[in-house]
Amino acid sequence: MSPETSALLRRRIEETAARYPKKGAALLPVLHLVQQETGCISVEEEKFVAQALGLKPMKVREVVTFYTMFLRRPVGKYHLQVCSNLSCILLGAGPLLEYLQKKLGVGVGETTSDGRFTLSVVECLGACEQAPCVMVNFDYYGQLDREKIDRILEGLE
Amino acid sequence: MPKIFIDDRAVEAAQGQTVLRAAESAGIPIPHFCYHPAFAPEGSCRMCLIEIEGIPKLELACSTVVREGLKVQTKSPKVVEARKGVLEFLLAEHPLDCPICDKAGECKLQDYFEEYGLFRSQFKESKEKREKKFKLGRNLILDRERCILCTRCVRFLNEITKTEDAGILNRGIHSEVGIFESEFIASNYSGNLAQICPVGAITDSDFRFRTRVWFLESRESVCPLCSRGCNIIIDSHPGFPRLPRGRRVYRIRARWNPDVNSHWICDHGRYGYAYLDEGRQDRLVWKKGSRDTGLSWDKAAGILSGKIQGLMLRGKSQRIGVILNPNLTNEELFLADRLFRKGLGIEKIYGAGPAPEKGDDFLLTADRAANSRGLREICPAVRAPEPKDLAELDLLLLFGHHLGAAERSADLLKALEKVEVKALFVSHRSALDDFVDFVIPVPAIAEKSGSLTNIDGRAQPFSAGLAFEGDGLPEWKALLDLAKELNVDHRYFWPLDSPAAVFRVLQEEIPFFK
Amino acid sequence: MDEKVLTRHFGVEGLFRIEVYRGLGGYKAVEKALKEMSPSAVLEEVKKASLRGRGGAGFPAGMKWGFVPQNVPKPRYLCVNADEGEPGTFKDRYIMSHNPHLLLEGTIIASYAVGIRSAFIYIRGEYEAVALRLEAAIAEAYKAGYLGDKILGTDFGLDVVVHRGAGAYICGEETALLESLEGKRGHPRLKPPFPASVGLFQCPTVINNVETLSNVPSIVQEGADAFIKKGLPKDGGTRVFGVSGMVKRPGIYELPLGTKLRTIIFDHAGGMKDGKELKAVIPGGMSAPILTADEIDLAMDFDSLAGAGSMLGSAAVIVIDKETSTLDVLKAVAKFYSHESCGQCTPCRIGTSWIHKIVKRLAGGEGEPDDIDTIIRLAGNIKGKTLCPLGDAAALPILSICRKFRSELEGYIPHA
Repeated sequence: MSPETSALLRRRIEETAARYPKKGAALLPVLHLVQQETGCISVEEEKFVAQALGLKPMKVREVVTFYTMFLRRPVGKYHLQVCSNLSCILLGAGPLLEYLQKKLGVGVGETTSDGRFTLSVVECLGACEQAPCVMVNFDYYGQLDREKIDRILEGLE
Repeated sequence: MPKIFIDDRAVEAAQGQTVLRAAESAGIPIPHFCYHPAFAPEGSCRMCLIEIEGIPKLELACSTVVREGLKVQTKSPKVVEARKGVLEFLLAEHPLDCPICDKAGECKLQDYFEEYGLFRSQFKESKEKREKKFKLGRNLILDRERCILCTRCVRFLNEITKTEDAGILNRGIHSEVGIFESEFIASNYSGNLAQICPVGAITDSDFRFRTRVWFLESRESVCPLCSRGCNIIIDSHPGFPRLPRGRRVYRIRARWNPDVNSHWICDHGRYGYAYLDEGRQDRLVWKKGSRDTGLSWDKAAGILSGKIQGLMLRGKSQRIGVILNPNLTNEELFLADRLFRKGLGIEKIYGAGPAPEKGDDFLLTADRAANSRGLREICPAVRAPEPKDLAELDLLLLFGHHLGAAERSADLLKALEKVEVKALFVSHRSALDDFVDFVIPVPAIAEKSGSLTNIDGRAQPFSAGLAFEGDGLPEWKALLDLAKELNVDHRYFWPLDSPAAVFRVLQEEIPFFK
Repeated sequence: MDEKVLTRHFGVEGLFRIEVYRGLGGYKAVEKALKEMSPSAVLEEVKKASLRGRGGAGFPAGMKWGFVPQNVPKPRYLCVNADEGEPGTFKDRYIMSHNPHLLLEGTIIASYAVGIRSAFIYIRGEYEAVALRLEAAIAEAYKAGYLGDKILGTDFGLDVVVHRGAGAYICGEETALLESLEGKRGHPRLKPPFPASVGLFQCPTVINNVETLSNVPSIVQEGADAFIKKGLPKDGGTRVFGVSGMVKRPGIYELPLGTKLRTIIFDHAGGMKDGKELKAVIPGGMSAPILTADEIDLAMDFDSLAGAGSMLGSAAVIVIDKETSTLDVLKAVAKFYSHESCGQCTPCRIGTSWIHKIVKRLAGGEGEPDDIDTIIRLAGNIKGKTLCPLGDAAALPILSICRKFRSELEGYIPHA
């Protein structure tokens, strides 16, 4: 972590923590903002956050490993999170996931060699009316079929 | 005092008590894993589910507070089925390690399966494979396949040591106990984790693979390695006496005492038991010139009292000295005081013990002697000897191998050379052996009975947890024999035939102990 | 009666902006509550309205508010449960993105009624876009004086903070939500004590679902009686039903409580898609036991569904067609709960995983004759025995699927 990033994050951590009666309560929002900046929460970030919030590093790791959105390893530029829950399965999420794997040449949990796409499977995204869905980073795309998937991927730089 | 009914039996419970505690007090055990009396109820193992009349769902005994008229069933069909269910879940993902697991024989999972389970496994799937030898701490190994996630270890480090070293990682079936990187648990209380783990997940590498617990004999004792006086259990193997060459003691465990050490002991006391079996002084010898002559105590007592009497008759009681030590029991200190100071009028009575070391803010005290408080209360005038004190002596009785301040040891030894007759009552071999005339073996605290006064002034009685092997005898007996030989105050000393008898007189004469 | 409460203005462009919202009568309820009513009067009105929780459990909101002690010298907190993790549910996402000020208005009034000065909106981490919209609305509300100190010149003040989750369904359970808000793993707590007395940071706390709170302005503005009339006597108001699965028009439909399930599927949602036939319906989110095609002549309200052995839950209707294998449904259900189990208590941690393993084996063609019985037995050992409701949420649907579709499932077992 560069000194600039570290200083910037410290400021934002201070601001965030100030909204809570106890500093430690800001852990989830703080992990989100650190991850936005550094891409993932590795040991370095765990120690950084622990120190900034006055927590034991173990307590930070307990939280990082509990919540699926906190990544311990970096992902590609676009994290494709395909819903595998019931409504999406009913409307063809299974075959679409296979299509994505073949198209990108990666399995679930893997990243393309050019570092652009990581493919993950997630549970219900809360967009069942648009099933089948994928969340790309934080953007929702629904009513997917092969053509739409092709268009979405082409549209990503 | 709410009256409740457990299995149709009326039980007087205490206000605010949980059903589990009330049942335990009434002699009705309710099986549990995650519950531990030192922590707030956790409620996660679900083993203590019981049936309460009027409530359709089963409730937890560990966290349900009693109220007047509560009717509890601990053996109803619903409860039996629930217990079997929990056991079945735990055993489904539990390795069949009993043949190689140290916890066998004292494992709650085994015990409960035997009592409440006894079903055939219906688990056909692959068990989760996990790390089986994860180093958790200096002496601690974690087997994650055996772990039932009761979180006692995590809670101990959060609530007792407050070091927060361990935590639960991941989620769901992938949950596991872990530490941060290589920040191994380094607390002086780490050994308690192996003791409170209900199964063989956390094992003590000090005890690992050494024996089966059913071969061990468990005896109560008090730890003498500092002035806290934690209550302990000594686990020794009766098949391996110390002599001619064996190690009897396999393990020290904490024993509950709400007033002294709660449920815990420190690692210093837990792992520092080698001294009980190693370096012991076993032969009673009289060193004449370059030869060591074996001697019986009767003979030795006779010779010593002769020499003492000789000096007394020649009006030379001020040429007789005694060095006591703060590891002697209350009874022994009392007898020494009454025999030497009161009975014989000897004034040169000193006390020397181990040098203080670092204590912690929990149980371990800086004072590393077991009975400093007793020494202070029973022999108030006693101080450490200076070299000049020793130089004036013709006869010295030394109890323990401490001469005085460690910094002065060279000078003290030099002064010792000038003393004509020196008798050393000691449990372990030391360099001092070569400087004395008589070496009389005495038992370690674990091998005798009596009482010790801890740092808070609490007098704790204890009885022998191990057999005393070798020549020699406990100091209290030696002092009584000397009193007999020296013909001191029959009526006073003769009825004192045991440490308990001595303590009764001690209590009458010294107000502090009433 | 077809009167909408929550989605009334959804068609209006820019509804999420405060000036548009106010232009449509927004924040009038706040003014009425703070200036014309006492906190206890507001509470009584909400109690009278029979507003039941819309998160899943259906606990009466007014009653929950009434449990909060007013004489304890500790701060009180309101947590808005915007975790919306129940599979099939997306209604709160709609409310928060289209009408965030409605939620804020309800939050302000609820806080006023219970004497709360600090509210947290716990929103699932995946709803980042929604969270940003909420934060923008909150900023507008502060600027307009509806949040912060001395709201509308009264002594009442409220601060609202948006707190993002990070991908854990269990954090929708109220005590796990509190743990997560305190910066910890989402491990549910033992109850008692209940959050109303020992909640966030050990202080008295109210936790309400987004839709529940969004109904409060209407209750204050139009009165409890009007609210009840929109629904049923013991179940006031409307529900925002979320329909998904094999229907022509998946989406949200705000309808009176008591609307028939058949009407929702075949009228409002347009019936089966692509000419498929109805096989089964999950009526209230994945945690609600499944209904067969001939069990859908039910009124959608808490009591009717409970009477039919299911639940209204989050009012998320998932429509399953005959071409879908029930095994795939069971697989999705077993996978979900196994993945989302927090791992604290024995039956859920091991039971959901064990069931999932059996179902995977079944789906892989290696099922054995006693597998369905085993699943049923294990689910029975989870039901009613866990630390939190997720155990039942897993066990009941699995039990219903295994019982109602047993012969189909056994068809996948080679030697059955």
